[in-house]
Amino acid sequence: MSEIRTLIVDDSSVMRKIVERALRQAGLDLLVVHEAGSGVEGLDVLKVKQVDLILSDINMPSMDGLEFLRQIRAQNLAPGVPVVMITTESSEEHVKQAIQAGAQGYIRKPFTAEQVKERVLPLLSAA
Amino acid sequence: MNSVRAAAIACKREGGNDEMERTMAVSLRESVQLVSDPGNLDASVEEVFQTMLGVSCRRDSSPMPHEAESVTAVVGFGGLLSGACVFRSGSIAARKIAAHMTGMEFEEVDDTVKDAIGEICNMLAGSWKGKVPDLAANCGLSVPAVITGRDYKLHVQAPEFQLNHTYCFEDMSFAVTVVCDGLQ
Repeated sequence: MSEIRTLIVDDSSVMRKIVERALRQAGLDLLVVHEAGSGVEGLDVLKVKQVDLILSDINMPSMDGLEFLRQIRAQNLAPGVPVVMITTESSEEHVKQAIQAGAQGYIRKPFTAEQVKERVLPLLSAA
Repeated sequence: MNSVRAAAIACKREGGNDEMERTMAVSLRESVQLVSDPGNLDASVEEVFQTMLGVSCRRDSSPMPHEAESVTAVVGFGGLLSGACVFRSGSIAARKIAAHMTGMEFEEVDDTVKDAIGEICNMLAGSWKGKVPDLAANCGLSVPAVITGRDYKLHVQAPEFQLNHTYCFEDMSFAVTVVCDGLQ
């Protein structure tokens, strides 16, 4: 698999590292990771960097993950790039909101590396 | 906590009038036994520690041993249930938890340790509310707040219900408290 440019958006730096580690454990060794601590920072990254995959938390200060996702679509940033939400919110309602906002995948915290692999790899293959 | 309530209400508004009407028909008061089931908290702690740290926990009937320097994380609930999930441990246990999560060693409770403990509390709160479907869909979470210091006490005035459990992992203790101060 070729180099995968990934944007990880989470207000927790520890979670960003854990997500990166899970991606590497999923077999994505050629990973270039960009990090953002909020939706606002994530949009700034997407304005200057091209990415192949976006993983975002939902509950974040200043701009949450759902608004971040809506802004990506509204501003036509990263067209065609799969977005996976990684969050503690697990209800059907939250999943529905994420899908409506344009997410292709949803991973509930706490998660295993295997779950990340199952949700992310098919999206990269399809992209 | 008001911001959490506002977020929960805004979240429901986005779903339209039908969704609002359905939400208003939901009442957790009728299922308070399910919401306050102590087994849900134990299952959440086991799930989070096993999945994110790779360690097993067991519930301890004795209170958490006193340690002067401690780390406390608080995640607020808002919506049909208002209250908070509180994680508390001594500084050694907090550093150990952060070490398991990151693969790094910590000499002190630095920002990374605080971040890790905040995330543990966030996942515990999310997992706990996820055990009851009506709660999962109608209760928002705040971002974590982390408090460090020596010899402080947590006081909650007349809660609706409170679960206060102590757990052990690798000879270390921590406590998880779920406080509900309002239930609709």
